[in-house]
Amino acid sequence: MTSPSVDSTSSDRVMIHLDQLSKRFPGQHDNAVDELTMDVREGEIVVLVGPSGCGKTTTMKMINRIIEPTSGRIVLDGEDVTRTDPDQLRRRIGYVIQQVGLFPHLTVGDNIATVPTLLGWSRDRTRERVDELLSMVNMPPESFRDRYPKQLSGGQQQRIGVARALGGDPAVMLMDEPFGAIDPITRDRLQNEFLRLQSEVRKTIVFVTHDIDEAIKMGDRIAILQEGSRIAQYDTPEQILTHPANEFVASFIGRGASLKRLNLSRVADIELSPWPTVGVDASPEEALQALRATHHSAVLVLDESGRPRRWVGAEDVRHAGGRPLDQVGLPPEPVVEPEVTLSDALNELLTARYSVTIVVNRQGAFQGVVDIDQITDAVRTMRRTAVSRARAGLDENP
Amino acid sequence: MSAPTSDDTTTQPAVTEEYHAGHRRSLAGYLVMPGVLALACLVLYVYVSQQELDSIEARSLNAATLTGALWEHVQLTAVSTVLTLLIAVPLGIVFTRPFTRPIRSYLITLLTLGQAVPTIAVLVLLAVVFLFLGFWAAIVGLVLYAIIPVLLNTMVGLEQVDKAVLEAGRGMGMARFTVLRRLELPLAVPVILAGVRTALVINVGTATLVTYINAGGLGDVIVAGLSTNRVTIQIVGAALTAVLALLIDYLAGIAEDLLRPRGL
Ligand SMILES: Nc1ncnc2c1ncn2[C@@H]1O[C@H](COP(=O)(O)OP(=O)(O)OP(=O)(O)O)[C@@H](O)[C@H]1O
Ligand SMILES: [Mg+2]
Repeated sequence: MTSPSVDSTSSDRVMIHLDQLSKRFPGQHDNAVDELTMDVREGEIVVLVGPSGCGKTTTMKMINRIIEPTSGRIVLDGEDVTRTDPDQLRRRIGYVIQQVGLFPHLTVGDNIATVPTLLGWSRDRTRERVDELLSMVNMPPESFRDRYPKQLSGGQQQRIGVARALGGDPAVMLMDEPFGAIDPITRDRLQNEFLRLQSEVRKTIVFVTHDIDEAIKMGDRIAILQEGSRIAQYDTPEQILTHPANEFVASFIGRGASLKRLNLSRVADIELSPWPTVGVDASPEEALQALRATHHSAVLVLDESGRPRRWVGAEDVRHAGGRPLDQVGLPPEPVVEPEVTLSDALNELLTARYSVTIVVNRQGAFQGVVDIDQITDAVRTMRRTAVSRARAGLDENP
Repeated sequence: MSAPTSDDTTTQPAVTEEYHAGHRRSLAGYLVMPGVLALACLVLYVYVSQQELDSIEARSLNAATLTGALWEHVQLTAVSTVLTLLIAVPLGIVFTRPFTRPIRSYLITLLTLGQAVPTIAVLVLLAVVFLFLGFWAAIVGLVLYAIIPVLLNTMVGLEQVDKAVLEAGRGMGMARFTVLRRLELPLAVPVILAGVRTALVINVGTATLVTYINAGGLGDVIVAGLSTNRVTIQIVGAALTAVLALLIDYLAGIAEDLLRPRGL
């Protein structure tokens, strides 16, 4: 009943260990990053979040030594990489920057092939990898492989940025505001898509953002940083929302924390409600019968593979005048996949005609619906578990 | 908003289909300039052949002399431009590396000052002080003058490359030299080529002066016309120089179109 929690997605193996890492830029008084020590476990997404200028980017860039630390150690998968060859190191670490930075003179395919080429993979293997990654980020290889970056929309460019970073199949990914400069709707979609991708590839990810909502949504754990990358709190999103460690964290989360908790749960975590459905080739009588059997005011028409085609109400059936069911009624909106958060689902259903959100699986087949009661239930349960967990915590360390 | 399906990628219009035509001209567009130049040459030929040429004019205005001068002129321009590139582009690369940052502004001031000195002064200096005359002296003068636009354009071209692109390259493990070769230089090509085109046009014009240090070229024809007070010779010399300059500029334009990386 929580977001993909630490226990389910990551092992206990430490993948990245930062040991008293500091950076002072030449000619500056204070350390931009001051003796930061932290662990990132294998397969988890750790989000670094904090006010502008607190040192998030600097911290992240020290991991692949785009910025060389002034002191301290970086240990990657048990190996001290503080002094190794930076180029070799970087080929093992995926890197996504905020400005995307696609190579404008190379095709999408060649952009993605960058690291495989550097690693000396064969042509065939590289080509296969490029196509695999394009499909992974939902961009059909045949139509996108040979385009140039300028021929893509902003959101598509961001996706290619992610695909390119995954090129050499690195165990670790660094992402600096990867969904930064983009409209909220596309951003949301890319976030969801990325979470789904991550559930397949299970990379160890350090993710930088200054947006606490994004942090809550994306992070298995969140490190809230203060000036000089000092850790104010490093914990799971629920713990941070329910038990902010100090004033700084509390004010950083801001008001509306209980609504933000809806960002912690995904549609997949709750039990979906059923909804009456009929096939496309059902007769009007069958549709009316299905309607009468429930208290709902419309049935959902599904095609042969179970994908929603139409909302059809009793009035629509009566005025169908012989037209098939998938040509009357309303388009089947809104539709979400199980990865989206309850907060997204709530947003959708607030404006929906029948006050529910349709849930489909990856293949687009109908799974059930989410309504407002389920969401209020979820909020209540979350608060209860948070409280009981906090009690348990108090018992353990008095 | 809809679910995170792939539909937005498939419904996105293929941004610009005419894109591959890009900035490139149509075939007809490519043929205009050669046509105009051929016409100009024809008019010139008809005009000269209708004149009664005296013996002085006939000595300059014959096929052998004119093609000889033209060929020398082309050689002067080509050799000086190639040398200019060989010197200016590597210098431009060096002066955009971080380790030369401290001296960069002094250097640019110096170069700009250098450009203010007229080529003719350089040529005279070479001849009088070093007793250096002929083809290679001319080349030295031309190169010295043309280096500056190519160098400055190389530097500007390299500096204007998006820093995010370079950081992405470094961040993925490209070595510095690979970043230069695979990212910086290709992305700087359009600006560098614009500098080369400028240098070529400067060199075609300036090469008319090297006749004064005995290095030949179309300047011979013009000066012959001036010193003997024959207007027809002057016109032919000047017109041929202009046609050559326009032709070279046209060819450089085509080279720019062909060498500009696709996708820009
Ligand atoms: N190259 C640099 N030279 C000098 N100072 C720098 C450099 N890069 C960053 N700093 C300083 O280090 C501090 C931390 O910067 P950093 O970019 O890590 O912040 P950030 O947390 O990523 O902020 P933002 O959310 O605005 O991106 C800032 O005070 C910044 O001015
Ligand atoms: Mg930053």
